[in-house]
Amino acid sequence: MKKLLSLLALLLAFTLAAAACGGSDDDTAADDAAEDTSEEAAEAEEEEAMEEEAEEAMEEEGDEEVALETQGGDLTFHMITHSDDGPFWSVVKNGFDAACAAHGVNCVWMPGNNDPGQMVTDIETAIGEGSAGIAASLPSPDQLIGPLQDAVGAGIPVYTLNSGLNDYQTIGATTHIGQSEDVAGQGAGNRFNDLGATKVLCGRQEQSNVGLEERCGGLAETFGGEVVDEFVGLDADQTEQINGIKAILEADPDIDAFLGVGPVIAMSGLQAAQDLGRDLTIGGFDMTPELLDAIEAGDIAFTVDQQQYLQGYLPVVLMFLEATNANQAGGGQPVLTGPGFVTPDNAAAVKALSAAGTR
Amino acid sequence: MADTDSAETGTETESARNTSPQNGESGAAEAATEASETASTPANAADERIAFRGVFARMLVRPEIGAAIAATAVWIFFWSVSGVFGLAGGTASVLDVASTLGIMAVAVAMLMIGGEFDLSAGAATGALGIVTLMFVRDITGEMGGAGLSLWIALPLSLAVALGLGWFNGTMVNRSGLPSFIVTLASFFILKGAKLGFAKLIVDQIQVGKMDDLEIFAADRGGDKGYGFFQPIFAAEWDRTDHVWESRDFLYTVACLVGLTLLVLALYEMRFARKDKMNPAGLAVTLAGIAAGIGGVLYLHGTDGTSANAIGAAIIGAGMLIGFFGLAMWRYQPLSDKGSFSVSPGWLAPFGAGLGALALAVLAARSLDAQNSENVTFLVTEQGLRAILFVGLAGAGAVLLLMASHRAGIGSQLTRSIVLLCTAGLVVAIAFFIRSESASPKFRTEVFSIMLAIAALMAVWAIVTLFFAERRYPDAPADRLGRLLIAGGTLMFIIGVGTRLLYTVPAEIEAGISPAKFSVRTLWFLLFAGVCTWVLGRSKFGSWVFAVGGNKEASRQIGVPAARTKVQLFMLVSFAAWLVGTLLAFRLNTIQASTGDGEEFEYIIAAVVGGTALTGGYGSTLGAAIGAIIMAMAAQGIPSARWNSDWRFVFLGGILLLAVIANNFIRSRAEATR
Repeated sequence: MKKLLSLLALLLAFTLAAAACGGSDDDTAADDAAEDTSEEAAEAEEEEAMEEEAEEAMEEEGDEEVALETQGGDLTFHMITHSDDGPFWSVVKNGFDAACAAHGVNCVWMPGNNDPGQMVTDIETAIGEGSAGIAASLPSPDQLIGPLQDAVGAGIPVYTLNSGLNDYQTIGATTHIGQSEDVAGQGAGNRFNDLGATKVLCGRQEQSNVGLEERCGGLAETFGGEVVDEFVGLDADQTEQINGIKAILEADPDIDAFLGVGPVIAMSGLQAAQDLGRDLTIGGFDMTPELLDAIEAGDIAFTVDQQQYLQGYLPVVLMFLEATNANQAGGGQPVLTGPGFVTPDNAAAVKALSAAGTR
Repeated sequence: MADTDSAETGTETESARNTSPQNGESGAAEAATEASETASTPANAADERIAFRGVFARMLVRPEIGAAIAATAVWIFFWSVSGVFGLAGGTASVLDVASTLGIMAVAVAMLMIGGEFDLSAGAATGALGIVTLMFVRDITGEMGGAGLSLWIALPLSLAVALGLGWFNGTMVNRSGLPSFIVTLASFFILKGAKLGFAKLIVDQIQVGKMDDLEIFAADRGGDKGYGFFQPIFAAEWDRTDHVWESRDFLYTVACLVGLTLLVLALYEMRFARKDKMNPAGLAVTLAGIAAGIGGVLYLHGTDGTSANAIGAAIIGAGMLIGFFGLAMWRYQPLSDKGSFSVSPGWLAPFGAGLGALALAVLAARSLDAQNSENVTFLVTEQGLRAILFVGLAGAGAVLLLMASHRAGIGSQLTRSIVLLCTAGLVVAIAFFIRSESASPKFRTEVFSIMLAIAALMAVWAIVTLFFAERRYPDAPADRLGRLLIAGGTLMFIIGVGTRLLYTVPAEIEAGISPAKFSVRTLWFLLFAGVCTWVLGRSKFGSWVFAVGGNKEASRQIGVPAARTKVQLFMLVSFAAWLVGTLLAFRLNTIQASTGDGEEFEYIIAAVVGGTALTGGYGSTLGAAIGAIIMAMAAQGIPSARWNSDWRFVFLGGILLLAVIANNFIRSRAEATR
């Protein structure tokens, strides 16, 4: 009995551990935000110490005069993100590098690898180096708002990108460059209206992921017909996911469209429809080579693309114009990079661009 | 297990049979005073190890029987509350989910019986699929891959798999640490390595694609074995291609024969055989069978409601005469029937059963069957009605059967009367369902099945009143009984299998979605069968039980304990390789996250199937059934259209009930050993 109890205790402990670090490889801002909140507690203490340091540093430096520059060569921009070297962020970096080269400015790419502590240090470094503009992503706002406000206080133009839609105004950032999950879902809803769908199954690959729920919620706002919003199984068990979708499709013969809010689940929806011999209008989110192939072949109608290249490119343009021409884009509103759509019409082109690292 | 029992009791049979004539009287006299299940004959009363067990205890002796009954209950439940669950398409989905889960669950169950865990088993499925894909990929337009032929890549990845299992096993043996912690480390290493290598080599969080081998076959000088291996690992079989008009005839006949064989097994294992058969009984049996067949033909020939009732009555009478004749032919008559007595022991469950049935009827009447709006935050009114009715009626039936069992402790007459009342109530509920329900599933299928069950119960009540229960071991009778059970089960499998694998023109016209059965199911059955054989019949299987029970003790009697454990870990990683390969051929692309966290599903499936967490006890067949239960729950919840936010609450509830049922049945079956 004792042995059994200790085994059970271990099981429980492991389950909790697995749940805590069961992150996704999805590269959307909301996913990362959800993932990082679990790390917050652990990081909090460290953060406090660092924030104090940051404040001290601030006091030492004091306010800095910002003069307009007319030549780009002296400008240095910093992009500080929770980038993880994955295929998603490598496209952002390519956009960033291209924009810097085009404008002839100095650029520093600071990947945080999902470590908010690292990002705080990077922000302090950027302030210390007298940055002409900081573009940052906000996966865990609580820890990053303070340091970024310091940057604003130091007279450095701040932009948020990818994640931070809800907090860029608190920081005092000029604008946010990214995609709102809501708007992306709304875009998908309009697509389905155009394609003549009447009842859409919005399949989620995770439970209690705010970003994914917002995608389905946005769909329900604009779609003219009925929306069935369900969790259908994890990406880690695609067999169960496919069959979960099949079960719902079979139980409800009126469903004539499927939106998978990730690239893998979109392919699962296609497989389920093919198994059942049902002709569904299928939409997806984000991109994988397989998904692009399926779109090119006409099996999948579209995928929602948040065009992250823009999230790397646009901040540099806006920071450059703010530094050289005192422009402030956005008018207090965010600048949306998506939803862009990949459809059978442009799939081949997107595939080539994707191979080149810009889509 | 069952066979060792018969070997033990076999030597006792002769002496027991010699004492049987006097047993007829003394046994019955005893029965009036003490529990019938544990009553023993004078011959073996001295040795409690061979104390006589009741007929159901003998029939339910295998460890997986609890899981099988739980699986049946889960199936019936979802079949009644969901429109699509029991159809061929739904079954194909359940088997599809169960296949990959079940292969792993069977291997993990063997490892658990051997006293160890493997937490890396889930991550290993994805990892080995990725390894295979990395071996076969080449560099056409993309990065990475060795570009090997499948003929080389598959054995290579199998070698990697066996190496992984060897590593786990050896680490556990050498370090002396719990396998829990060693394989937890392997899990994290595999999880990280999958993502790390996928990004390093392919620059993606997934690795593909298997069918590139076929697509680019021309450029690469052949498809590198893809054409050969694809059907082996991913062949699919479309049911709509196989039309067989007389399918339902075979289905009905197979199920009827199967049911008859099971009932015969019950009779053979329950009643005391005569020393000399009575041929007159055989004639009565034949007359009964003739009457039954006549009733079926009559029923088919007419349409009217009253004619249906007459036909059903003729069939019922035929059953009664047939089984009564069979008993006259083979079994000793019961001399002391006891007298009718009322005791709180059976009145309480009887009253509770009646109450449950009344509540079931009330629930069905007061809720709207057509309303598919959500009444609570959980389910629709329709769904709530179905759940309440099925749950309450099921509970009522169990309580009534319990009442008749308890009533029989005092006297056979009381038991038969209570059982007859129960049969009457089943008939009443059957007619209620027929009048209330809109779907043909309930109006005809459930209705006729319930009538058949009621008839069998009534016949059983009458036959047990006139013929004596056997209270002494009788190995030949038990062996025949087990043979009949095996035959009956086989007939059911044939009948249900035919119905699943073939379609009729009417179904195609009705637009029922096609079912695709996959070769993965065959791999699952094959793997479960081989493992069951190894565990039950081979020396290695005995070693597995021995090292799981007590490693030191087994080593001292000459079992190579360390080697056995390493081999078990290698078996698990072999299974992971098989599943990884099946997934690679099915999905063409493997995600880096594939299989992470699934190891708990394997362990849960094994435990649901009756495998102990502490080692030394369990069953591979049970683990396979456990996997099917989990797949049914996973498929049944979306099929029934329950709110998916609560999915894991339902799943947990179903699993808990399944485990409790399994445990209860098993402990009841073993209580008298």
